[in-house]
Amino acid sequence: MSGSAEPMIRLENLTKRFPGQKQHAVDDLTLDIPDGEIVILVGPSGSGKTTTLRMINRLIEPTSGKIFLEGEDVTRVNADKLRRRMGYVIQQIGLFPHATIASNISTVPRMLGWKRKRIAARVDELLEMVGMDPSIYGKRYPKELSGGQRQRIGVARAMAADPPVILMDEPFSAIDPITRGRLQNEFLQLQTEIRKTIVFVTHDIDEAIKMGDRIAILDDQSHVAQYDTPATILTAPANRFVEDFIGARASLKRLNLTRLSDVELIHWPTAELSTDRESVREALLRSDKGSVLLLDENHRPQRWINAMDMEHTDTPLAEVGLPATPAIDEQATLYDALNEMLTSLQGAAAVVDADGVYRGVIDIETIAAAIRTMRAEARERYRGEAPEARETEPTEMTS
Amino acid sequence: MRDFLDYLDFRKGHIYDLAVEHVKIVLVAIAIATAISILIAILTYRSARIAAIVLGIQGASLTVPSLALFGLLIPFVGLGYRPVLVALVIYALLPITRNTITGLRGVDPAIIESAQGMGMGRLRRLFRIELPLAWPVILTGIRVSTVMTLGIAAIGAYVNGPGLGEDIFAGLSRIGTPTAVHLALGGTLGVVVLAMLFDAFYVVVGKLTISKGVR
Repeated sequence: MSGSAEPMIRLENLTKRFPGQKQHAVDDLTLDIPDGEIVILVGPSGSGKTTTLRMINRLIEPTSGKIFLEGEDVTRVNADKLRRRMGYVIQQIGLFPHATIASNISTVPRMLGWKRKRIAARVDELLEMVGMDPSIYGKRYPKELSGGQRQRIGVARAMAADPPVILMDEPFSAIDPITRGRLQNEFLQLQTEIRKTIVFVTHDIDEAIKMGDRIAILDDQSHVAQYDTPATILTAPANRFVEDFIGARASLKRLNLTRLSDVELIHWPTAELSTDRESVREALLRSDKGSVLLLDENHRPQRWINAMDMEHTDTPLAEVGLPATPAIDEQATLYDALNEMLTSLQGAAAVVDADGVYRGVIDIETIAAAIRTMRAEARERYRGEAPEARETEPTEMTS
Repeated sequence: MRDFLDYLDFRKGHIYDLAVEHVKIVLVAIAIATAISILIAILTYRSARIAAIVLGIQGASLTVPSLALFGLLIPFVGLGYRPVLVALVIYALLPITRNTITGLRGVDPAIIESAQGMGMGRLRRLFRIELPLAWPVILTGIRVSTVMTLGIAAIGAYVNGPGLGEDIFAGLSRIGTPTAVHLALGGTLGVVVLAMLFDAFYVVVGKLTISKGVR
């Protein structure tokens, strides 16, 4: 963390003591948040992580210490103006129920005095960015949307004036697990394009590992137990507290570190749904995998078909074999893929990009190979590099 | 019954004039009371204790019988229009203040937090978020106050106030004569019809002013 680039946000000896409380809620926290990264504040409840986040946009005023944004001391500047430079997303989202989606999204640009045309264009752009049709959703009200859609609007609203920083307080916690996973993947995909500096609070270590470029594990009073990349935290936890917090299945969790877009996918033989049976049969004959993946006209995976399935000549192609849906998003992790394979009927899963277009196939063997690599790396670290790695950690701890 | 219809037909111009006066004084009273109530509510809603004290005082003033209140006001504002208006305003305060405070305090804290987190200052939050969200509840308070003051205004005729009360009291003072019942009934019916018209009016106001997103 001794990078020469100036951090986007720097918290310096930040302390918060609430009136009438003996203990500091946050005690002398110093933390650099690098530009363009997702930094996760994770810790048990009561660790002061939300208080810390709210001090960054000064919804809670620090008792002492300083906050720097892009090198500028913002501890005493006008709080409302400061907040317009940072997006803010909370668990309950807090969309304005009496305002349309377009009006919700344009809240900050309107306060900043943007021209109407520019605002309208920005609203459309943002709705498209979060995958919602502007002509359909712009005029709707929050109550007409599902929980997942509201969450997307919450993110769009936070990004409206293109702030360099977005603060997120358990943004996906109130959403069902399936939608949550999808939103997390979408958000990571989005982040590869927008490269914002994101400070993200969660109590869920799995979410932290999946979402974070860097994780700050917070103990009581926001004492930083470890501040490092997910990989380092999982392989070299700094102390007992971190070990306990990561939990027993640290190795399994490491599967969350690798995204499908980072591994080499298998080129499975494919055929178009629209083609005749003869060419599917040919593809099968040429296949060394024993089966063929059928794609629809938009190259979205549809069915797994093997030679036996082809004997049912009376059923249409779209109905023979086994379903290849749901396919896995390439932003998903090996952990997600393994989970999908264990619950599906196939020892392999089709991988698609953000538009649902086929990219390749992942099977158990790919995951096993990844695990072998991880074990080799861990062994290396154990043999020599570990002591050095551990020596650098105290500088990252505060208090 | 026949008689009464003939009477109505004969007196319709007069009853209409009284009804217009009645509506005017109620509208003025409600407008003044709404302005005062919303102001009081805005100043007090953040503190549950102060809000409770204000509502307590207003509640106590409601327990004073209207006839007594009219009488008590005479030394200060004289007879006629003014004591009635002052009394109506006093009665109209409580429902509107109470509903405004309830409405403002009932806004989801997450909505306030997100507004604050986006850099909305206190005033902007109040006018753009809190009041619009509290508006359906405030409007209900205004409706309750209106119906209530319509009835109380009728009694205002006792201190020479304007409106349909004039006919009601004229009838009561003439009990035993053939027109007594007609006069009282005509005035009362007028008040009832006005109350229904006002109710319909507020339904329309609600339709026009309450956001589709919170209806």
